Amino acid sequence: MHYLTPQISLIFSTLIFGTVVLLNLTKKDSIAVKLYMLQSAAIAILLLLSSFQKLSLLLLIAIIATIAVKVVFAPYFFLKLIKRHPSNFSHSTFLNTPLTVAVMVLLSILTQASFFKPLIFLSPSSQDLLFISMATILISLFLSINRKGALSQALGVLSLENSIVSFALFAGLEQSPALQLGITASIFIWVTIASIFTTMIFRQFGSLDVSSMRELTE
Amino acid sequence: MALILLVITPIIAVLLSLAVPRKIWPLELIAAMAAPIELGSLIMSAISVLGQKSYSFGSFLSLDPLGTIVLSTIVVVGFAASYYSIGYLRREVQKEIIGFRRVRQYFVLFHLFLLAMFFAVTTTNPILTWLSIEATTLATAFLISFYNKPSAMEAAWKYLIINSIGLSLGLFGTLLFLSPTMNLAADSFISWQVLLANAHLLNPLLAKIAFVFVLIGYGTKAGLAPMHTWLPDAHSKAPSPVSALLSGALLNVALMAILRYKAVADITVGPLFSQNLLILFGAMSVVIPAFIIVIQKNYKRLFAYSSIEHMGIMALGFGFGGLGTFAALLHMIYHSLTKSTLFFSAGNIFLKYSSTKIYNVKGTLTVLPITGIILLIGFLAIIGMPPFGIFMTEFYILTSGMAAYPLVVVGILIALAIIFVGFLRHTTNMALGPNIENVPVGESNYLTVIPAIFLLSLFVIISIFLPEPVKSLVQQASLLVK
Repeated sequence: MHYLTPQISLIFSTLIFGTVVLLNLTKKDSIAVKLYMLQSAAIAILLLLSSFQKLSLLLLIAIIATIAVKVVFAPYFFLKLIKRHPSNFSHSTFLNTPLTVAVMVLLSILTQASFFKPLIFLSPSSQDLLFISMATILISLFLSINRKGALSQALGVLSLENSIVSFALFAGLEQSPALQLGITASIFIWVTIASIFTTMIFRQFGSLDVSSMRELTE
Repeated sequence: MALILLVITPIIAVLLSLAVPRKIWPLELIAAMAAPIELGSLIMSAISVLGQKSYSFGSFLSLDPLGTIVLSTIVVVGFAASYYSIGYLRREVQKEIIGFRRVRQYFVLFHLFLLAMFFAVTTTNPILTWLSIEATTLATAFLISFYNKPSAMEAAWKYLIINSIGLSLGLFGTLLFLSPTMNLAADSFISWQVLLANAHLLNPLLAKIAFVFVLIGYGTKAGLAPMHTWLPDAHSKAPSPVSALLSGALLNVALMAILRYKAVADITVGPLFSQNLLILFGAMSVVIPAFIIVIQKNYKRLFAYSSIEHMGIMALGFGFGGLGTFAALLHMIYHSLTKSTLFFSAGNIFLKYSSTKIYNVKGTLTVLPITGIILLIGFLAIIGMPPFGIFMTEFYILTSGMAAYPLVVVGILIALAIIFVGFLRHTTNMALGPNIENVPVGESNYLTVIPAIFLLSLFVIISIFLPEPVKSLVQQASLLVK
């Protein structure tokens, strides 16, 4: 029995897309972290649903590790950082809200461009899901570029990774459990390093706004 | 066995370094012992590859001629950088800039960095290659921020974010490339060979999208313009031996990943698509740094921009194809040796003058007699003056593109002329002139000089006389890339 029906897939892909859009719009870092948490939980459920038929011990470990790192560990670390420096998180963006919305709309339309059309060859029956996932990838990429806050940039990178995983799931490109575990481990290390750097940046610059870093302008 | 020894050595070095309590000399000893073991493993592996065209350990580790060339640059530069690091850090400890904990942190990350690069080159699985390249980002981020200054922090953060975004896009491209292999048995191990064998099953339009993402993703790590913005900051802020490894080894690893996917894409869509893209990115990588080199004020950034330029020249060689491919692979070796030498010289100058600003450095030929000469020879080599090897490889690369892309070649020649003028101005300013700051004359210590002499000598020797095994490896590798 297939648990990942088209209806369920559409609900989850829309949910993930929605979290990325809101991540771009939110003005509160704690909300951004919770949105990332929700997005990661959706990915973990998708992983679980897609693998029920071939569930093995290693796959189960990979899913548990994904939940532990993305839903528990990363949000916990980031929320702790926000608590430690409550007034110093920058949620400002390079573009204002109307322009941010306009860019997101443009990026969503861009997925319909002829360049991306061949993606449907991956899974012709999941055409809509693939385009939604592609839009999610592009908007996540935009999140990292548009945000001035170090934490928001880090969330952008993590959201980009989630978007790619969701695309891979809908396109039937899941990797073996061992490789999934490897990718999850790298995210774990990445989150740890990003958190340490965020603290170090605050110590050096007295702010987490990356636009205040101007030591290396040419 | 040699491959497993190569991978295990840095792991043991990391564990032993972590166990060292309070004394610096055991850390130095571990690094000094690991380097020749790694070099020996490389030589044994390379001999096997020369004889059998590939050398494997189980189904997880394997070396082909292309991998051997890239691995050689990592191991040889790593060998020299290990000893140079000892001398360099000793001087920093003497100046009380760092203490035991920072030295231990340095060596642990240094060995991890080497391990990640070894694994990226020798693993047979594309996803594991991606993971290893991602691991290089994680290992080096703290090496770039080693001095804990605001500028170093900024460089490291930029490096972390830009490369992570780039590599995420690289992962996306990788997954698309893997799509035809998804119908294979669930637990079958997808190797580069399997990927190549199934390349004809990949939809050509999909292959184009995949290659674009791979080129942008790994191209970010390889320092190709316009994704190069992290590179001058990271290379200039890292300690000099790390800059040498970043420039002389890591960029090659990322370029190797692009070349592996190029081989797959070429089977699916024909070579023209990837070649045109490589020419486009290559040309941008030569032209953009040319103008920045002229106005550059920091000598480490000068060398960093030169690395972008040389990655561009290599990309052009692979884009032009034919003789250009052979020349680009040889250029990779020459560039690694020369640029690492220049970064070692930069380290010696920094240790002496405590500044990376060009206008603060005068009379290196008087103050640092050996480093001054190394700097001058390195300068002549890197700008492609005859009789050095870089002159020949640049000549062959441009010749191979002259018939099909004359305008590109003319543009590149103009950019190279601008780079020559820029380098000439900066290097003469640094090398000549009086010692106006009254900096004490003499090299810091022999360990900061011998590794530079070693690399430069190696470069000069293989510039004049290209040994048959190296030539054979490059020829075999160019067939793989074609």
